[in-house]
Amino acid sequence: MSITRRDFIIGTTALGAGASVSAPFLLPKYHFNRRPKRSRVAILPAGQYSQELDQVLLKGLQLFPLDVRGKTVVLKPNLVDYLPGDAINAHPTLVLAAVEAFRRLGAKSVVIAEGPGHQRDTQLVLCQSGYEESLRCEKIRFVDLNRDELIRTPLRASYTGMKDLWFPRTVLDADFLVSMPKIKTHHWSGVTLAMKNMFGIVPGARYGWPKNILHWKGIQESILDLCATVPIHFVIADGIIAMEGNGPLNGTSRPLGKIVLADDPVAADSTCARLMGFDPLRIMHISEGARFLGNAEPAHIDQLGDTVRPPTIPFRVVPEFVNLYAI
Amino acid sequence: MVPSDVSAKLLRRQLPCGGWSALLSSAQPALEPTCYSLLAVGSQAVDARERAQAFLLRAQNPNGSWPVFVGDDRNGSWLTSLVAITLRDFVAAIPARLKGLHWLLSNAGKEGDWFWRWKFRTSDRHVRFDPDKFGWPWFPDAVSWVVPTAFAILALNQLPCSCGGFDLGPSRVDRGVEMLIDRACPGGGWNAGNGVVYGAAVAPHVDDTAIALVALRDRVQDSLLQTSLEYLERTGPSLTAPWSLAWAILALAAHLRPITLLRGALLTFPDLVYVEDTSTLALACLALDHEQALFNLGVSP
Repeated sequence: MSITRRDFIIGTTALGAGASVSAPFLLPKYHFNRRPKRSRVAILPAGQYSQELDQVLLKGLQLFPLDVRGKTVVLKPNLVDYLPGDAINAHPTLVLAAVEAFRRLGAKSVVIAEGPGHQRDTQLVLCQSGYEESLRCEKIRFVDLNRDELIRTPLRASYTGMKDLWFPRTVLDADFLVSMPKIKTHHWSGVTLAMKNMFGIVPGARYGWPKNILHWKGIQESILDLCATVPIHFVIADGIIAMEGNGPLNGTSRPLGKIVLADDPVAADSTCARLMGFDPLRIMHISEGARFLGNAEPAHIDQLGDTVRPPTIPFRVVPEFVNLYAI
Repeated sequence: MVPSDVSAKLLRRQLPCGGWSALLSSAQPALEPTCYSLLAVGSQAVDARERAQAFLLRAQNPNGSWPVFVGDDRNGSWLTSLVAITLRDFVAAIPARLKGLHWLLSNAGKEGDWFWRWKFRTSDRHVRFDPDKFGWPWFPDAVSWVVPTAFAILALNQLPCSCGGFDLGPSRVDRGVEMLIDRACPGGGWNAGNGVVYGAAVAPHVDDTAIALVALRDRVQDSLLQTSLEYLERTGPSLTAPWSLAWAILALAAHLRPITLLRGALLTFPDLVYVEDTSTLALACLALDHEQALFNLGVSP
């Protein structure tokens, strides 16, 4: 069979066009591997929000070889909005226990920082959620990440296609960043855990309320780009009272009685998903994050404290996410 | 605490460049706190006012819009509306202001585009809203939200006429008003702009409600306004944060509702002058002088 010059040109043009269309889907979206050989996760039983959490948390943290001496620790709780009676936010008792624990472990400073995604009046959320009085009494500095000084930061993964984002100086300057999510279902992303909690570092003053650019670029993709760019050093997840159903705001409270600690955000989210009755590998940001950000497979996780026991009745989700249920 | 204490504190926070930063701990000049601060210090501090006006003019983008902060991308933001409002009485700013308002008219929520309207009608229907009713986004190439739309309405309402290339102004304002009404929460009031998600009513926020009510002062006489004002009156006395409290005062005053109780609460708010957030401090000043503030926003009670 002979190939004419015309066939050759058409063929190569078609090949080039095909390659240019498919290349973005085939090329890797990340160019580094931060995945540790092994990760540690501790599940601590805790029935209620009480002063005893100070001791529970300190003992839990001592299970990890942490060295925060002389470091600036930034705690990033999940603080979205306030609705009376709803388990929307990481509970202030747990966050204050974390402040106390990191101070005892020798941190140079411990700052609480968050940029609520729904409510522009951050001080109102702090007051209503029971944070403000404790911050004042315990002389704890709070930084509103929605309005902090901003630094343009190139993204270290390309799931969204965005080249850079503006991030708050407080987060970029942190020596040790702790994600403190509330264990919740989420009507757009299935779950909102340690990795999704990073949406709170995206400044509302620059990107608006809610931080809609991240929804348009893809929630799962945005989570991956954020976590690739701003590393989470530790996770303290509030699952004492969790949320199921139409989260993150309008779900219903679900007592889980657990705090999850981890030195790897992917391992933390994978474990939390199992505790909710989900298959973590069906959640895109966990399965994809397990390629380069952390470990999702139990075989690579050293389980401390309680064992992972999926609930008899899994967490309720909106219909779009029934595929998350572990079989 | 007297209002002059708050005002003096605000003046001391002005940066050498003439602008104000969002937080006391930051040195990055930002446009929103600068606008509220400039409106709040008013005519009393001539030097501070002139430096702030010059700062705002320098910060304008080549396309006529204004950024969120100095050093930001040059594409523009919702703050174009607030800057246009702030510079209303500054004669030297007229060309810059008109350029900004032209940019504002050229900018619309993504729903303004047929493709996105079609998408919201057919496949993306978890948030209940009418995509035919669009307003303004926080920044270009995004969908409409309540706060940017309300400020755009206030800014465009200050145009003396629809001449000079502003012939689209009235229809865009009408469309924006329709959008605000469409995005209200089922029980009255507004949040960022999602009244119903996955069939569940989402709660209103005081500041978003107040800003929408200020923008709708001259436009609507219907039950939505009444229920939203009642929400503010019901919620106001228990507010524990000065930003929301100040906005509630301004909105209720705009609609000739009693504000004595809320004003008293703001005046006795503990540690107001130590508030870290500059916009909050400035807004407290504005609420304590609500008649002047509403005049500056172009709203006559």
